[in-house]
Amino acid sequence: MRFAGPHPTPRPGITAAKVLTKDKLDGNADLIAVFDGVREIPQVIDGIRCQCGCATLDGYYSLLSCYEGDKAMAQICHICQGEGKLAVRLHREGKSLEEIRIAIDAKFG
Amino acid sequence: MKVRPLAIALSLVTATDLHAQIRASEMATFTQMIDGTKIGMTYSRPRGRGRDTLFGSVKSVRWDEVWTPGANYATTFEVNRPVTLDGHAVKAGTYSVWMVVKQSGTWTMVLDPKVRIYHMSPPDSNATQIRFPVKTHDAPYLDVLTWSMPELRSNGGTLTMQWGRTRVDMNLDVTPSYALTMPQADADPYLGVWEYAEIDSGKVGPTQRFVIDYENQTLKGRWHSDSSYFKHFALVKIAPDWFAPGVYDDRGQVYEVYKPELVLEFTRENGRATSFLARDDQDKVVMKGKRTK
Repeated sequence: MRFAGPHPTPRPGITAAKVLTKDKLDGNADLIAVFDGVREIPQVIDGIRCQCGCATLDGYYSLLSCYEGDKAMAQICHICQGEGKLAVRLHREGKSLEEIRIAIDAKFG
Repeated sequence: MKVRPLAIALSLVTATDLHAQIRASEMATFTQMIDGTKIGMTYSRPRGRGRDTLFGSVKSVRWDEVWTPGANYATTFEVNRPVTLDGHAVKAGTYSVWMVVKQSGTWTMVLDPKVRIYHMSPPDSNATQIRFPVKTHDAPYLDVLTWSMPELRSNGGTLTMQWGRTRVDMNLDVTPSYALTMPQADADPYLGVWEYAEIDSGKVGPTQRFVIDYENQTLKGRWHSDSSYFKHFALVKIAPDWFAPGVYDDRGQVYEVYKPELVLEFTRENGRATSFLARDDQDKVVMKGKRTK
């Protein structure tokens, strides 16, 4: 099932202030790593549309939304997690936001 | 158009009171997803109720009638992406469904972009309609009119209407989300003999042989697998140098593309693919390979 749609424009000045920190991730090393990775690049993650279906929920703006707040969907959703991991890796490999979007769409779209 | 007071009275009841009422032709919907295309039908389901003849009788559907294969308000057909029905292009949208019922020869399938039409008021033939002939087949008796897709493929299926002993099948093709075929020139950089090893929790397994060849305009991989379906598969290009395995059924049709579960990411040197990493849906490397020939 696909939930395709346009990728959002990163909000100017967006920060990772609402991204969950490790003290709220039950010591899950895998989760902590991806949340930490997302926290490093909010301006990139905010330009990606999540393909898991959450993009239609109230309060959603971008994949970054999946990592924010006590009810952050990425705590339990494998698609939110996988997209975050892919985006973080590709950013570390020097890929642009547009290239990351294409990869997210190719793998999860 | 003939005026039938009883039919009008029943239509008013239908429109105003849908709650807790036994209807002769109860409402039904069915939806089917195929490769991202959503196909939906909404219709009322007439029952045979002991009638010997459902077509060609004054008590049911008369010959030459423009009939909605359903009851009450016209059956609707809805798709969110373009499809073809028996080769006829159908744009994304919602259509009322009609059939011109003939005693001999083919019937005519009619899709009309105007919906919410009562069955007593079939639309006249017009340029906005999609019309094409359909064949009827004899079938085991089915009391309640049923729309279904009893056969599915990765790129479509059979859309079927059956009532009584009459069945109409239409071939429905969706717009594929990716191509299974590619030109030889695009396939060449990947062709050859490879070796690979699976990686599980950081442990690298034994090295095994992996062959990539080009057959029927499709890039295909062969490797060791305990699953017979996964020994020979299509390499479906999803992005530059990224491929997902597409596994074949017994008829040689791809029935599933494994993404995001397994994506092979190739690396090139001087234009030729020389190594790859396979990653799962969590971006974890689960396999690595390199070219040997």
